Amino acid sequence: MRGRLTYSRPPQDVQEHDIDTRALGDLMEASQDIHTDAMVDTGAALDEMVELGQEARARGSIDLDESREVAAQRSRMRTGAAFGGGILAAAGIAGALDALFASPAFASSATDVQILQTAASIEVLAAGTYKTALTLPFIGGASANGVVKAFATMTMQQHQQHLDAFNAAITGLGGKAQNNSDPTLAKVVAAAVPGLTGPGPVVALALELETGAAETYTVNVATLSNANAKKLTASIMGVEAQHASVLLAVQALLNANAPQLITLSPTNVANLPAAAGSVGFPTAFFPTSMARPASEGALS
Amino acid sequence: MIRRNRTPEVMAISEHELTVMTKDVEHLHEDVGMPAMLSAVEEWKEKSRTSRRGFLIGAGAVAGGAVLAACGSSSSPSTTTTKAATSGKAGTLTGDLAVAALAASLENLAVAAYGDVLTAATAGKLGTVPPAVATFATTVKAQHAQHAQAWNSAIVAAGHPAVTGPDTVLVPVVDKAFAKVTNVTGAAQLALMLEGTAAATYQSAVSAVKATSAIQVAASIQPVEMQHAAILNFVLGQYPVPLAFSTTTAARPLTDYTG
Repeated sequence: MRGRLTYSRPPQDVQEHDIDTRALGDLMEASQDIHTDAMVDTGAALDEMVELGQEARARGSIDLDESREVAAQRSRMRTGAAFGGGILAAAGIAGALDALFASPAFASSATDVQILQTAASIEVLAAGTYKTALTLPFIGGASANGVVKAFATMTMQQHQQHLDAFNAAITGLGGKAQNNSDPTLAKVVAAAVPGLTGPGPVVALALELETGAAETYTVNVATLSNANAKKLTASIMGVEAQHASVLLAVQALLNANAPQLITLSPTNVANLPAAAGSVGFPTAFFPTSMARPASEGALS
Repeated sequence: MIRRNRTPEVMAISEHELTVMTKDVEHLHEDVGMPAMLSAVEEWKEKSRTSRRGFLIGAGAVAGGAVLAACGSSSSPSTTTTKAATSGKAGTLTGDLAVAALAASLENLAVAAYGDVLTAATAGKLGTVPPAVATFATTVKAQHAQHAQAWNSAIVAAGHPAVTGPDTVLVPVVDKAFAKVTNVTGAAQLALMLEGTAAATYQSAVSAVKATSAIQVAASIQPVEMQHAAILNFVLGQYPVPLAFSTTTAARPLTDYTG
């Protein structure tokens, strides 16, 4: 591609839906090919988890109450103390964490299941929210920006793939698949639905979900005991952060009344305002203040 | 200074609003992102101070002692990184600290590379540079410097000198690629490679390091590198989130540091 593109001054009157849908389709198809390769890694991790789950099931049932408490304690310490509680608090808690993590492997697996069920519940909600959004004329209909529509479609599919992967991991560890939405976040979405009267509120809602998902997984990779569950989560957290990044950029352009700049074209960059170059990654270190509690979406 | 396009009318409206938003997110960075990571680093440092043994602490000197003094001041992109590379030597830290050293060296390489891009742009060697690209390079360079500082704070707390040089294995690769860069697109493609490498390495590090606080640091940086990559894809006119699952294929091995 290098050398083919020129950054000559773009036309001033770029049409709002001036996108090459065929080219966009090709890009998405190419993405699917890359995705297939990526799934090889994920599949291997899941296979290992199935074996582990079979061993766990052979030992007996999982104590959900015990694991829920372990998950809650871990989550509080990781998000509330280790991250936000300061140096002294973090140092003092280190010993307690070590003791917690020294719990029987069986309890750890159960805790991992709850963490993964919460992750799955977030994915259920995310996929469902994009699916609903795509029924809106300004997101998935005739009046929609082509790139926004393509993004919503692709992102919905990716969340479904995340859900499938998390559920495969859960069952691999001997737990029950989670196919219900995170109950707390579901209320947030339900409350937002009446206000989804244009692209802006939809993008804001999606951004909230993506940020919550990415931050939750950022915490989870340091909390999960199972190595493959950790690998799986690590392979998803950055993708959710990318979704958030795109939404931040889209949101900024919408707020700036420049929807015509939401387009996938190598020449579009010449039109973008300077601030658009940094709005998609607001922090040098990904925060965790919006991470969901570890057992919030766990099955009772 | 970097040459900038004359902007179309729409920018007169959007620039101000986006600048305000940028200031907002800078505050967010100060209030949310940084304290979260700092707490993790502090926990790691505290463990390092109180437990100077085992996997947390490696012995010996740190690789890549050369300071990137020429970074940002040379008009020859390849010269900058090559100077640093020739002073590098195999590192002797082990365990988590070796991973931290590798990470710091990757961040140093990114800082140098973006510095070279900005220098070349300023010299007019990349043609017309859109303002968004200039902002991107400047902001991302600063974030990579912060990442390097985070890793080095743990290394220094353990009683070792900071890693100030770049990944010596990658330097010739980057130099060779950069020598062919003649425009913004080429620079963006090179940056995309660097961001992908960093993100993959951090994703791998999440499973490689032992200390929970070290995992937290890696986990707080990987998503940010992924975000850099997403915006670069957007700049290149490519779909910004091509994968449902990110991979570790491009992760650098620890031997980049240990030799």
